[in-house]
Amino acid sequence: MNKWFKSGSPWIWLSAGGVSLSLISVLGLLWLIASRGLSYFWPSELYQFDIVDEQGIEKVVIGEIYDREQIPVSQLAHLNLVLDPQQEVLERLLVKTGNRELVNLDFRWLLSHNIKNTLTPDDLVVVERRTHGNFYGYIDSIVLDGKIVTTQQLPELLARVEDFQSKIDQLQKSDIGAINYQLERLRLKTRKYQLNNKLTADVQAAINSEINQLNAQYATLEKQLLEYRQDISRDHIIMRAMGGELVTINFEHILKVTFNNRLTFIDKTLLFFSQITSFLVEDPREANTEGGVFPAIFGTVLMVLLMTVIVSPFGVIAAIYLHEYAGKNALTKLLRIAVINLAGVPSIVYGVFGLGFFVYMVGGSLDQLFYSENLPSPTFGTPGVLWSALTLAILTLPVVIVSTEEGLSRIPSAMRHGSLALGATKAETLWRIILPIASPAIMTGIILAIARAAGEVAPLMLVGVVKMAPNLPLDGNFPFLHLDRKFMHLGFHIYDVGFQSPNVEAARPLVYATALLLVTIIVALNMTAVSIRNNLREKYKMLEH
Amino acid sequence: MISISPNALATGSDPSFAKKLDLNNLKPEQVALDINNLNLSYGEKQALNDISMSIPKGQVTAFIGPSGCGKSTLLRCINRMNDLVDNCHITGEVNLHGNNIYNKHVDVADLRRKVGMVFQRPNPFPKTIYENVVYGLRIMGENNRRKLDEAVEKSLRSAALWNEVKDRLYESALGLSGGQQQRLVIARAIAIQPEVLLLDEPTSALDPISTLTIEELINDLKKQFTVVIVTHNMQQAARVSDQTAFMYMGSLIEYSDTNTLFTRPSKQKTEDYITGRYG
Repeated sequence: MNKWFKSGSPWIWLSAGGVSLSLISVLGLLWLIASRGLSYFWPSELYQFDIVDEQGIEKVVIGEIYDREQIPVSQLAHLNLVLDPQQEVLERLLVKTGNRELVNLDFRWLLSHNIKNTLTPDDLVVVERRTHGNFYGYIDSIVLDGKIVTTQQLPELLARVEDFQSKIDQLQKSDIGAINYQLERLRLKTRKYQLNNKLTADVQAAINSEINQLNAQYATLEKQLLEYRQDISRDHIIMRAMGGELVTINFEHILKVTFNNRLTFIDKTLLFFSQITSFLVEDPREANTEGGVFPAIFGTVLMVLLMTVIVSPFGVIAAIYLHEYAGKNALTKLLRIAVINLAGVPSIVYGVFGLGFFVYMVGGSLDQLFYSENLPSPTFGTPGVLWSALTLAILTLPVVIVSTEEGLSRIPSAMRHGSLALGATKAETLWRIILPIASPAIMTGIILAIARAAGEVAPLMLVGVVKMAPNLPLDGNFPFLHLDRKFMHLGFHIYDVGFQSPNVEAARPLVYATALLLVTIIVALNMTAVSIRNNLREKYKMLEH
Repeated sequence: MISISPNALATGSDPSFAKKLDLNNLKPEQVALDINNLNLSYGEKQALNDISMSIPKGQVTAFIGPSGCGKSTLLRCINRMNDLVDNCHITGEVNLHGNNIYNKHVDVADLRRKVGMVFQRPNPFPKTIYENVVYGLRIMGENNRRKLDEAVEKSLRSAALWNEVKDRLYESALGLSGGQQQRLVIARAIAIQPEVLLLDEPTSALDPISTLTIEELINDLKKQFTVVIVTHNMQQAARVSDQTAFMYMGSLIEYSDTNTLFTRPSKQKTEDYITGRYG
């Protein structure tokens, strides 16, 4: 035994154990969020349960099974159930029943003890709607312009609605949005002239004629929009819910009608991928609990890229000064320690700093100087994507400085001397030799910065993230990139959907799906940076000095 | 222990170098570098003591001596590489064309273009062979492709490397062998046409065959440049140099033509060193 200890194998086992433990936890985490997140997109079986409740009343419940759990019988004593005395636990099902216009809750618990009969009828459908969530039930009839038609017509009618819907979206967002944007700019222009006391009658007339022109355009577009609205609401569907009630749903509100129980495996797979795609490319609906997360993906990536663009040059310049030019004295050491310790400041503190300094001081002054026509409503003096990127840039600055400095100090002095001996100045040596060789280390710093910034939520809540941003920071209106706008972020989206939404239970799978997406995006950003670094490493492979 | 074989001494005298120079009374046009009362200290530690010597033009001058004697330090004074060392203090003069290089108004980068240097270990940049050679020219602002091409061929030929690398000029210089890298570094140094070439133990990290190639190269180089070489290999000094300076404990003990120094040293210390009593 003693010999076994001396051989060192226990330590090998111990360290290998440590590695396996961390590997298992990482894989476990990924597996959990992946399985929970992806199952959200898989079309599930629709059930019809015939139940008899504790009072002996018979009922029908229709829906999807969301969860199952075992509960001890002792907890159910108040129900006075007639049970086998041997039985200690009972199974309980969480069923999503939807139909929010009939019942307030989307979900209900069913004791398996009460279920007399479980059916999966082929005719059951789930109707995905723009508002009010899903509707579960049977199709009673489809009404096309007042005439009843067969279910054969369903795909055709749905396609028609989708077509109209995309036309309406286009009209509302792009065309009418652009006109509103221009009107707003004209209003600001007038106000600016007013503030400078240069608003002459000529100028006013010119602006007014522009405004009138835009208003005329707006009127035609609005008329068009009303026509579309009328067309789209031509048809409706009459559904029979689980209690036998008939509910009329206008096609205008319908996204999808699916006979889940009729789907083959291939159909389900196709549907699975189309659901994932719409999750990725669509806007959220119903207080973020339904629909996609595209604005959040866009916001996260844009903010991280902006942050990278800001932090890389600053970090590299600071590291160069500290390593190459600053005197090697106590002050420099103190500075370096201060920089390293900055990395340990809690991120919310950076958020507070960003709000106080960037948003109120810098943004407020910018507004006074350049956007005074818009006051008192702020332009830059309010949280926005630029301030978020700047705040995170400061947060990640120490990481970039430290790894760049490390890279600089790893370069053999022979390289510097070789360049200097050829008549290069220090600056030329830095630019032509040192920085290229240090570039992999700089990339390492950037990778770490991205990894830290992309997952950071707390400071963003103070400096720019919102639950729902009406416009993306990038659009077709000049100057295209609107750095003053607020944005959505996946990390905040998870928090919002999971804990702030009206229907936490319904949103749980969405939380997992969004978390999986966030992890995927961070990994993708990192992988891009890693592959750039590996290319650089290959290029500037150092001699084994 | 090193002892000098008569054979090594015989090769010391270059047949092309017939008449000996009087090192104490060189004519101004024969002088490449004139060092006067040079003192150097690293903080408290005195590293060079009152060195005065004249290095003749178009010849190979070797600095020999035991480790830590200051021969590399003296070499680095000639192109002011010691400026890079913290708390290094220098007094005295090093004159190039009669101008003191330690004068306040001297542009150090310009000086280093005139006085090239090759280090102990090959230090090619992680760039292509071509870019390594033209590095100095690009620094000087030369970007004309044709001129650069010419310079590359000329320098690589002078460094006896052209035939080995002409087909892979655009491959990384780090793929070359140690000896090739050292010749590349020499080519890089001579591409900017310096007047003086400083070699700081250029073969100490190389195998014997590469060493031989470099030594042959040094013989060719003195036709175009004044060469100053630091070596702790006495046979090498004897083989390649015309003048040899022996240094000990930061002082110049003896400086004369190589043949005389190795056969009839005038100082006891020199004799002790070359006969292998210490060092």
